[in-house]
Amino acid sequence: MATMNASGAPAEMLPFGGRQDVPQRKRLDVERFQWGSMVLLLPALVLLVLLFLIPVGYAFFLGFTNLRLVGPTALSYHFTGLANVRQLLHDNVFPLSVELTAIFVVGSVVGTVIVGLALALLMRTANGLIRILVGGVAVVAWMMPAVTAGMTWYASTTAGGTFGTLLGLSSSDFLHSQPLLIVTLANTWSQCGFAMLVFAAALRNIPSEVIEAATLENASRVQRFRMIMLPLLRPTIVTTVLLVTLLTLANFSLIYIMTQGGPGNSTNILPVYSYQQAFSFNNLAYGALIGDVMVIIATMFGFAYVRASKVRV
Amino acid sequence: MTDLALSNRSVAGLVEPARVPDSAPRVPAPSRWGRWTGNLILSVIGVAFALPMLWLLLASLDSHASWSIELPNFTLANFQAATASDKLQSLWNSFVLSGVATIVSTTASALAAYALSRRRIPWKGPILLIVLFLSGVPMSILIVPVYQMFAQENWLSIMPAAIFLGVTAMPFEIWLIKNFMDAIPIDLEEAARIERANTWQILTRVVGPLALPGIGAGAIYAFVNAWGSFIVPLVLISDPNQQPGPIAIYGFIGAANVRYGDIAAFSLLYALPVFLLYAIMSRLFTGGFTLGGAIKG
Repeated sequence: MATMNASGAPAEMLPFGGRQDVPQRKRLDVERFQWGSMVLLLPALVLLVLLFLIPVGYAFFLGFTNLRLVGPTALSYHFTGLANVRQLLHDNVFPLSVELTAIFVVGSVVGTVIVGLALALLMRTANGLIRILVGGVAVVAWMMPAVTAGMTWYASTTAGGTFGTLLGLSSSDFLHSQPLLIVTLANTWSQCGFAMLVFAAALRNIPSEVIEAATLENASRVQRFRMIMLPLLRPTIVTTVLLVTLLTLANFSLIYIMTQGGPGNSTNILPVYSYQQAFSFNNLAYGALIGDVMVIIATMFGFAYVRASKVRV
Repeated sequence: MTDLALSNRSVAGLVEPARVPDSAPRVPAPSRWGRWTGNLILSVIGVAFALPMLWLLLASLDSHASWSIELPNFTLANFQAATASDKLQSLWNSFVLSGVATIVSTTASALAAYALSRRRIPWKGPILLIVLFLSGVPMSILIVPVYQMFAQENWLSIMPAAIFLGVTAMPFEIWLIKNFMDAIPIDLEEAARIERANTWQILTRVVGPLALPGIGAGAIYAFVNAWGSFIVPLVLISDPNQQPGPIAIYGFIGAANVRYGDIAAFSLLYALPVFLLYAIMSRLFTGGFTLGGAIKG
C-alpha cells in the first residue's frame, strides 16, 4: 500500500481544480491501446509467425508444385499451377475420403460432448472414490499417447481381443468388420477426458447463487439443467465442439496405427490419405494439396464457430 | 488495506485451493435415489473406459503375450526389459521435450490470452481469426517445410524440436485460456487497478490465480500434445540418443520378433507421469474459487 501511494502522492497534493495536471492516461473508464499490450503479445506473436504461419504458407505453395519425395523433381521442383487441382477433381478416392472424414468427425464430436458433459455433471454429486476412479480412467485415456492408445484399441477389437471375448465372439474381428465405427469409438474414448475437464471447469464457474435461487423456486433437477446450466454452458459447449472437431480432423496417428486407412480405403480419412499420397506414393506436392483442403475445411468450421458463438472480435 | 486483503485471498487460492471456506453447499444435494443412480451410471461409463486398458495390464505381466486377451503367465521380465538404460533415457528425453514445450507455450499463451481477453488491441478480430485458423492446421502438413527450415539452420536436436512442439500447442492454448479469462468477472481486476496495482501484480495476484484452472488445462494440453507426439521428434531430432518414448515403442515393434509384453510394460511406464498430472489437475479443479463471494466482498 505504502509503495503504491508514493508514486501517486504528488497528484493527491494538488487542489481540486488542478485537472490539467492529472495525466490523461490515468483515466480508467476508457479502454485504450497500451504499448504494454504489445509486450504481452510479443512472445506468442514471434513464435507463431516464425514456426507456424511461415511454414503453413510454404506448405500452401508446395501444394501447387511438382515436388516429389524421390526422383528428379525432389530437389528442383517448380510451380505447376492447377495441375494438382485437376488431378484432385478426377480422383475417386478423394470424395470417399471426405465422406469418411465427415462421419468420423461428426460421430466423435457428438459422442465426446455428450459423454464428457455427462461425466462432468455426474461427478458433482458422485461418491468420492467413484469420482476419483472414473475421472482418473477418463483422463488417463485422454492423456495416453496415440501410439499406445492405437495399440490398446487394436488389441481390444481384433480377433481374440477384449470386446470380442467378453461378447462371446472371440473369433470375430470387429476392427475388420466395422472399422469406421471402431476408430470413431477409439477417438471418442481418447477425447472424452478432455471434454470432461473443460466442462467441469465451466460448471465450477456457474455462480452457486443462481442454482440455489432456482432450487428455492422449486425448479426440478431437469429444469435446473435445461434452463440454467445449459444456457450458461453454451459458450463452453460451442468451443468444445470446435476444438474436438479440429483435433479429430487432424487426428492422424490413431487411425494410422490401428488400420493405416484400411481395410481397403474404409478408414482412409483425409490426414491419412494426405500422408499416404506424400510418403507412400512419394507425391509430396499432391499430399500437401490434400492438406490444404483440410486447412480450408477447418477454416470453414472456424468461421461457423465465430458466427455461432458471436465471439466479441 | 483492501488490496492487501485481496492479495491474501488470491495467494490463499493459489497455495491451498481446497481450503477456501464455502459455507453453503455448491450443488443442491440430490435424493439418495438420485445419487445412487448417478453413481451407477458413472461406474458403467468408467468400466467402459477401463476395458480397452485391460490388455495393457495383462500383457505387461505375461511372458507369452500376444494381441489377444488371456490370463498371463506371470512374469516381471517385461518390466525389466522396459527399464533398460536406453529405455529410461528415452523416458527422460520425453520429460525434457514435453517440459520445455509446456513452459514455452503456456507462458506465451497465457500472456497473449490475457491481452486478447482484456486489452484493446488493434486488429484484434483478424488476430483471433488467424489464431483460430492455426489451431485447425493439421500437423502433418507442417513437417516438410519445418524440416527444411531446421535442417538449414542446423537445429535438428531436442531443444528446437521441443520449442516447435510448444508452438504447435499454442493456438489451441490461447483460445482455451482466453475463453476461460473471458468468463472471469472484470470487477476484481478493476478493483485492483483502482488500488493502483500494476499489470504484473494484476497478472500474478488477481488474474493468474483465478484463471489457474484454465491455465492448468492449457499447460496439461501442451504437455500431453508433446508427450504423445510421434512424427515430430522422429523427423526433427537427428540424434537417436535424444529420441523420446514413442520412438522407443516403435523400436520394440521394429525388432526382429515383436515382444508384445515389452511393448505393454513400457507403455504402462510411459503412462505413469499422467497419473501424477491427474493428481495435480484434480487439486486445481476441486479447489472451489468462490467468485460470487469475491465480488460481493
